[in-house]
Amino acid sequence: MQPDDQPRAGSAHRRLEGKRCLVTGGSRGLGLALCRAFAEAGAKVAFTFSKNVEDAATAQRLVAEAGGEPLVFQGSVSDAKHVQDTVAQLVEAWGSIDVLVNNAGPTQILPVALLEEADWDSVMNTNVKGAYLFSRAVLKSMIRARRGHILNVGTFASERIVEAPIHYAAAKSALRGMTEALAREVGRYDIKVNLIAPGLLDVGLARILPRHRVDEYLAQCPMGRLGTVEEIARSVVFLVSDDNSFMTGAKLVFDGGL
Amino acid sequence: MLALESEGRVLHQTTSLCKVCKNALPANVVANDAGEVWMQKTCDEHGPQAVRLSTSADWYQRTRAIQQRRVAPRVVRHEVDHGCPFDCGPCANHTQKIRLPVVTITSACNLDCPICYVHNKNDDAFHMGTESFAQVLEHLARDHGGELDIVNLTGGEPTVHPHFLDFLAMARQAGVHRVTICTNGIRLAKDEGLVQRLAELGGRVALSFDSLEKDADEMLQGARLLDIKLRCLELLEKYGVDTTLIPVMTRGVNDHEIGKILAFAFERPNVRHIEVHTMTFTGQSGATFPRSGRISMLEVLERIEETTRGLLRVDDFVASPCAHPLCYQIAYLLVDPEGGAPIPFTRFMPAPELYAALSDRLYLEPTEKLERSMREAIDRLWAYGGVDSERTLSLLKRLLGLMFPCDRPLPSNEALRVAEQAVKAVYVHSHMDEETFDTERAADCCDSNCYADGSTIPVCNYNVLYREKEQHFNLTPRRWNDRKGGQRAFARLPIVAG
Repeated sequence: MQPDDQPRAGSAHRRLEGKRCLVTGGSRGLGLALCRAFAEAGAKVAFTFSKNVEDAATAQRLVAEAGGEPLVFQGSVSDAKHVQDTVAQLVEAWGSIDVLVNNAGPTQILPVALLEEADWDSVMNTNVKGAYLFSRAVLKSMIRARRGHILNVGTFASERIVEAPIHYAAAKSALRGMTEALAREVGRYDIKVNLIAPGLLDVGLARILPRHRVDEYLAQCPMGRLGTVEEIARSVVFLVSDDNSFMTGAKLVFDGGL
Repeated sequence: MLALESEGRVLHQTTSLCKVCKNALPANVVANDAGEVWMQKTCDEHGPQAVRLSTSADWYQRTRAIQQRRVAPRVVRHEVDHGCPFDCGPCANHTQKIRLPVVTITSACNLDCPICYVHNKNDDAFHMGTESFAQVLEHLARDHGGELDIVNLTGGEPTVHPHFLDFLAMARQAGVHRVTICTNGIRLAKDEGLVQRLAELGGRVALSFDSLEKDADEMLQGARLLDIKLRCLELLEKYGVDTTLIPVMTRGVNDHEIGKILAFAFERPNVRHIEVHTMTFTGQSGATFPRSGRISMLEVLERIEETTRGLLRVDDFVASPCAHPLCYQIAYLLVDPEGGAPIPFTRFMPAPELYAALSDRLYLEPTEKLERSMREAIDRLWAYGGVDSERTLSLLKRLLGLMFPCDRPLPSNEALRVAEQAVKAVYVHSHMDEETFDTERAADCCDSNCYADGSTIPVCNYNVLYREKEQHFNLTPRRWNDRKGGQRAFARLPIVAG
């Protein structure tokens, strides 16, 4: 069936009506904002988290308030068994998965002098291996459905020369490569694979950086402000919806023009 | 020793005070043959006077030569009339803005310490009103560009003020990050609920803590208070109240135990700072304390080096860029949670870099300069190695991990608190009395007593001259308005070649 023959998506407000979306690292920050936006747009939502049960419970309530009760899974994205179990349970519950957002990834602030092998492995495992494991696990059902969206969450730190921990920047750069190669490989099944690269947002890193670092960022940013998770989420809702019928292998930078 | 009249090599000239009438006097600061520094002056009525300022002319000159970062007060409240120190408010000649505002909220005190350097009054006691305190806060915010994030409540004994917790809440509500109560700890030791409330309000405590030995304790505080202080500290630790210990160093009484006091403080997780004061001979009791107790800044630093067996050395201290270099010396140490010896910052960061990192504030804050210095220090330790480099790197990595945990971002104020808990600071603060008074230091002072009308008086000037004039603190206030001194009213002493 050609795209023009597909049923038209609903209104922008319910763009994800009935879509089955899984977000890794969905208990706070951008991940939580995406879960809420998906729920508001009519999607069924599931998210994973690794450690903080309290945050997860809060997130579960917020997502439910936004649209529908989410399914919640605890575990490490770099643990293959957790990944397989999560996807299997979702496929059993929902029949398939339409959207995967690989968002989980720790922000570990370390200069290279203090960055030991274990730190490198940990950040690579979560950001890169985790995205690989989840992508591979959901692709089976997406290929069977011959449609789907995988969205990887990168960072402006892999797009610009800025001060960032090298393992974090390297991991996010790896995600960009994976995005492009995977988009090429699964495009024939109408599976779109894209990457967003947010700049400093009003959650997460910007709230823990010393004030002078945020000021320095804002001084360089043409928009002169931090991004909000809501404005990122609005764009992401489009990216993973049926309205995005032709954009794949793309990288969208949300950094206010840095 | 030095004869009372012009002997020795003149290092500089200044204005001091007569130790009897407190009139302003020209003074020579000289080095004698033994390499000591003395201040010499002569009052027409009360004769020649001399006092030793330092045991080392080399250290004194080297320290005095450090250029502090002077930022003049934004608001001047008194034109220069009689000259320093008689025009405070601040006057147009004051060179340093306030970094540590002090608010005297009561004249009442539940102790009568032999070393007390202020005048207090329990009969018909003065308690600052809520409205006045609100005005102080307004002035601190308005007159100082909204940048002051610290205020010190003192007395008397501030915890006997019936509304001191309200004041604490008001200051916190006004956005003050560090609200410190200077206390002897008696009320806190006896009232756990009070400590709990103080903790809930985010208050900090500066606890006078002169000795771990009961006899010395009694000699300095007039009572055996050690058990009470320990109980107070136990409660402060239980409720996680950030605490500063303030021992007053007095030669021959407690200077031999400064190392023990520091070790005691380093072991207590909630004790952030130790602010060592040199004995100063002002106020209702200090003025009559035996002068054999006088000890100079350098001697305190040397005692610290001796009694900590080199854990902290004289060269681990840097002057505060915000104050006259002879007034404050500061050392920062990285805490080892595994029980290892704390590591002074200067062992991994050159002293000039630490000095530069301190340039904006009285306390070390996560500024751009500090971040840059820390990063360079980490790179140096890693690339060049050296004594204790592995342990230092491991402690710094641990600190970064606590401030920036992977699994949950901490708000910046919580990260700052975590950083404060991983670091201890030792301040040595040398107050002046009428004998050692030096207007050069007074003009550079960044600690000021603050009034409801917005006027401010540097603390040494306040303790030496202004407080004894106030009805609030004296049954019979003194007068010095009929003085005949003043900076412009005398000729310079002749300089005699050394």
